[in-house]
Amino acid sequence: MSLKNLFTDWSRYRKGIEEGGFHDYEHMWGMAVDLNKCIGCNACAVACYAENNLAVVGEQKFYDGQAMHWMRIERYWDEPDLGEDRVQEFNHHGASFIPFMCQNCNAATCEPVCPVAATYHTPDGLNAQVYNRCIGSRYCSNNCPYRLRFFNFFSYYESSWPEPLHMQLNPDLTVRDKGVMEKCTFCVQRIRAAKDKARRENRKVRDGEFLPACAQTCPTGAIVFGDLLTLHTPGGGVGETEVANLWRAHQVELGKTKQTKQNPELRGYRVFEKLNTEPCVMYLERVREV
Amino acid sequence: MSIPASLGGWVLALILGLFLGGAPSWAAKVPNAVPPDETYSGEYVEQPIEFPHDTHAAVNEINCLYCHTYARRSSVAGIPPTSKCMGCHSVIATDKPRIKKLTEYWEKRQPPPWKKVHDVPDFVHFTHEKHLQRFVFENEGMQVEDVAEVCAFCHGDVKSMTVAVKVRPLTMGFCRRCHEANEGPFDCWKCHK
Repeated sequence: MSLKNLFTDWSRYRKGIEEGGFHDYEHMWGMAVDLNKCIGCNACAVACYAENNLAVVGEQKFYDGQAMHWMRIERYWDEPDLGEDRVQEFNHHGASFIPFMCQNCNAATCEPVCPVAATYHTPDGLNAQVYNRCIGSRYCSNNCPYRLRFFNFFSYYESSWPEPLHMQLNPDLTVRDKGVMEKCTFCVQRIRAAKDKARRENRKVRDGEFLPACAQTCPTGAIVFGDLLTLHTPGGGVGETEVANLWRAHQVELGKTKQTKQNPELRGYRVFEKLNTEPCVMYLERVREV
Repeated sequence: MSIPASLGGWVLALILGLFLGGAPSWAAKVPNAVPPDETYSGEYVEQPIEFPHDTHAAVNEINCLYCHTYARRSSVAGIPPTSKCMGCHSVIATDKPRIKKLTEYWEKRQPPPWKKVHDVPDFVHFTHEKHLQRFVFENEGMQVEDVAEVCAFCHGDVKSMTVAVKVRPLTMGFCRRCHEANEGPFDCWKCHK
């Protein structure tokens, strides 16, 4: 069975541009992040730390690039070689920032390089990481264009939650040990709970029934999470979700390496979509005063 | 006319039952299921009170779900609160040493510190609820009275034990083989967390 799983089932749910980037199963979880609404407060990152048992690595290891922030606010400062006037202008505007989490690509570049198939695509459109199977080769991290995979170089859990802080650990997740790669899961434990509940009540998962920790915490509601599967139906599917509405409104389409929209008012884009990774996260560009 | 026929049936059944030996297997089969057959000899776990599952489940024929009531709606089957024990044992068999011990716990307002026997690792997401849905409540032709047969898939024949002992390996291979035989989900993230 395991060989069958490896060779056939494993790549069953990878959908790149050649297949329209679409997924033909129950769900396709995706996000829309409005950078106009994002105030860069880092609440999402903190919520992620609390929800997903993320290890706190300490200052030095943070500088060494070992921080375990599945969700992070990336900052970009102006280029120093812009010339005097432009630097002024950029300083005036401040840093530009973007909340960045695993893009859960439909044709993820991390998946095919794993030597032990520890990372694979689930029927839910998620890019999964199976910690027990991971041997820590770090190929996936090297192959991720977004740098959103985090490796446990040490047994961080030993010092991360001194008593009584270990009581805050989320029992729905494991605490990862040394030598294991980890990444954002779109809070799969919440997805799982919501699906269990829906099944119990004999219905489908409703839009907005649950949110990942980051979206739940965002004070400005910049992160919208939901099922993208209705994008499949041209002209709007039945029971279209909020996130699918946003994608449609900004004419961001799956299965494309470059969006063809003409209207400059539409702000939607996906990060590095030219790489044909088919990310499931859409960002809405920040509007700035010129 | 029909009385001798049914009598004959009973006699035949009795003979068959005696011949096959042990539990009446014809009555308790779970439809639409392939039960796992691997075995494991777990260690005897010392419990605060040597709870006799055989007296409760076999002699008195109490349904598993009467005490392990969360199994049908939660991920864990649950150990009943001491009040549930006392519901019967404030009047039944109050002179037995085990019940006296139980009453002591009850009067001290402390639950007996039961030890876990069937423990899956922390990285496994297992729900009793889903398995009972599949094999009992959504299983056509299945009687809830026979739920012990479904429990026996993983917990063995508890009716013949006093304190529950682990008799199935409960390893990933065990789970996978059963999922394959019964067409359970394949996805890693269904169970791994």
